[in-house]
Amino acid sequence: MTGAFVEIDALPRPSATVVPVAAARPSPARRLLRALPPYLFLLPAIGCLAVWTYRPLAAAVNLSFFSWNLLPTTPKEPVGLDNYRRLLELPDLWHALWLTAAMTLALLLFTVALPTVVALWTSAIRGRGRAVYRAMIFAPVLVPPVAGAAVWQWMLDPTSGAVDRLIGHPINWIHEPGPAQIAIVVITGWHLLGFAVLVVSAGLAGIDDEYTAAAMLDRASRWQTTRWITLPLLSPTLVFLALMTVLMSGQLTFPLIDTLTQGGPDSATTNVYYLLWEWGFQNFDAGFAASAGLLFFVAFGVVATGLVRLSDRLTFHDN
Amino acid sequence: MKRRRFARGVAAACAAALALTLAACGSDDDADAGGTSTAGVVPELGPDQKVSIVFESYNLAQPGPWTDTFNGLIADFEKAHPNISVTAQKPQTSTLKGYGSASTASIQAQIATGNAPDVAQLTFGDLGYTATALGAKPLDDIVGRDAVQENFAGTHPFAPTARTLGDVDGKTYGVPFVFSTPVLYYNADLFTQAGLDPEKPPTTWDEFKTAALAIKAKTGKNGGYIDCFTKVSGDWCYQAVVASNGGSVISEDRTKLTFAEAPAVQAVEMAQDLVNSGASPKLSQDQAYPAFARGEIGMIVETSAAQGTFIKGAGGAKPPWTLRATVMPSFTGKPVVPTNSGAALFMFAKDAAKQRAAWELITYLTSDAAYTQITSKIGYLPLRTGLLDDPNGLKTWAAENPLVQPNVDQLAKLKPWVSFPGNNYVQIRTGMLEAVESVVYSGADPQKTLTDAQNQAAKLLPRS
Repeated sequence: MTGAFVEIDALPRPSATVVPVAAARPSPARRLLRALPPYLFLLPAIGCLAVWTYRPLAAAVNLSFFSWNLLPTTPKEPVGLDNYRRLLELPDLWHALWLTAAMTLALLLFTVALPTVVALWTSAIRGRGRAVYRAMIFAPVLVPPVAGAAVWQWMLDPTSGAVDRLIGHPINWIHEPGPAQIAIVVITGWHLLGFAVLVVSAGLAGIDDEYTAAAMLDRASRWQTTRWITLPLLSPTLVFLALMTVLMSGQLTFPLIDTLTQGGPDSATTNVYYLLWEWGFQNFDAGFAASAGLLFFVAFGVVATGLVRLSDRLTFHDN
Repeated sequence: MKRRRFARGVAAACAAALALTLAACGSDDDADAGGTSTAGVVPELGPDQKVSIVFESYNLAQPGPWTDTFNGLIADFEKAHPNISVTAQKPQTSTLKGYGSASTASIQAQIATGNAPDVAQLTFGDLGYTATALGAKPLDDIVGRDAVQENFAGTHPFAPTARTLGDVDGKTYGVPFVFSTPVLYYNADLFTQAGLDPEKPPTTWDEFKTAALAIKAKTGKNGGYIDCFTKVSGDWCYQAVVASNGGSVISEDRTKLTFAEAPAVQAVEMAQDLVNSGASPKLSQDQAYPAFARGEIGMIVETSAAQGTFIKGAGGAKPPWTLRATVMPSFTGKPVVPTNSGAALFMFAKDAAKQRAAWELITYLTSDAAYTQITSKIGYLPLRTGLLDDPNGLKTWAAENPLVQPNVDQLAKLKPWVSFPGNNYVQIRTGMLEAVESVVYSGADPQKTLTDAQNQAAKLLPRS
């Protein structure tokens, strides 16, 4: 842990003042009763977590060793590690993993790089113009993904779409592998940009103006203050956005893939979540989908841990 | 510090969300012995016996003529059977794509929660799974074989080729309801502009290619699209193209995959050549059929379910163009072997009264009166072909709508759309179609791609 990190420790310690030093210790039952309230407060949260997260997780682990099609009339057939073996042998899996990684990287452009630029620029705008500008950038976030996808489908049509007429060159954005990948990433990015700008703006608003003022006094240029003061102080926000993108990009691209390309053409736009959904709810292969889901769960868990560690090491805390 | 904790919280939440995706799979199974041991035939309903049933159809998910026609039919049925009330619903899935597998997934989800509709319209490509895994009721046992056959007869009997399409192991599980065969629709105006005779549409794939290239060269529009070679198209029409070249996708006894054998490979090579030569555009199904309706493609091989869209498009275009139809092209020197698309009506009701009411609905929906409406308003084949010669039926309509004729001609030589066996049938079908799509539209090596796909898919066949 680098930087000046100070635990806030101003409150008086209650144990020293509130609890009088008793001559005789209270009975164990009484002590238990007194210790109980904090745990009772925790109970609803832990209960929900157990019922909605840990129990299904355990059920998924269990399910991944069976072959079953979800029907109550069909018996579950134990298959041992077969589901995992089949999964690792499947070329589709590695292909989809690679595509998921590539799409996530490309999306970082829209969720980290562009929002930072936009937010830094718009922070200079003052008054009503700023609100209008931000509202315009935020608008796509409010468009439901499936409705947005339908409109994009018309705009990307190779013969009568607005996009091809604008660039004056017929490209079938949805049915050619390269352009389809670009289309999915750009449309997802268009959706997320507004939200990311909002987060970065909030991060900027949290930075004390006095640092910039002090730097100005020392005749630092605008670029220098941005590079050496604003960006380091903004880094926790940016790492948070990167983490969000890595963990959510699969889910965020799902409705677009489902509406626009169905993973095609030639499996060029599929990702691990789309594949998981196809296995579980199109092919009715619940055991196989559960094993895939667990594998992804572990993999994303590792990635998330890595990113959290990284954020600990990289981020600069302003306290 | 707060921010970091928040990030960690989000990470945990995301992981939880991922786990929840699987939660739906993890529900404990309530043992439900939905046995089919119905002793004898279900009794008729008493005159005052009130029954309400649920009917699910993917046609109700399509607005316009589809939904209107079905709602009209159900209203007529309720008028004729005042003691039966029908709740009509569309498949309960989030996705709009792939009516076939989406409607099966919907039934699957409802059975898993113990709440299946009483009558459902499911495609023939899901027949095996519907009968064996989903537990559709064998109609021969529920209402008796005689009643089932009696329904196929009547004033205008079912076409003989259509009767057995819903059979599994000699028993009727589904009453064939609405389907089409692959029809070649073409734009007569583009034919004339390209110097082709609209009276002589292509009869072979070679002629199809020549005509398509002529249209492309002379009019600047796209030549011809075949909606049979993508994952979204489904495999019914692909099976017809392969069968027309003397091949198949699975052996007769449904134990061995055959879609990487020579006739199937040649069929896919033919399609690849159409795309590579520029005769056929690289489009998805969603792009192709509206483009044809707008007059931007010369020809399209498509189900007649899209005919309504084409008629509307042709009439609404500026200037309007003339829609014509003919039978699917053949491979030179070989007969055309059309397959059927579409769906049958299956019964999932468990209670005897509901089963009887469900049967009443099935017989009504496959009656002369219903087909008269379905054919004239949607464009599906009238499976009771005699209606086309009946002045009280569809005779006048057929005279005004020659578009129905190729479909009726092909009905006589129909080869059933075969469903893949086992619980992994969708995965086998998808694997096959993805390989076909990558050969036809991405230029992959035909033999190698199909062989690889077949080897992968063979592992998914049920172990015998």
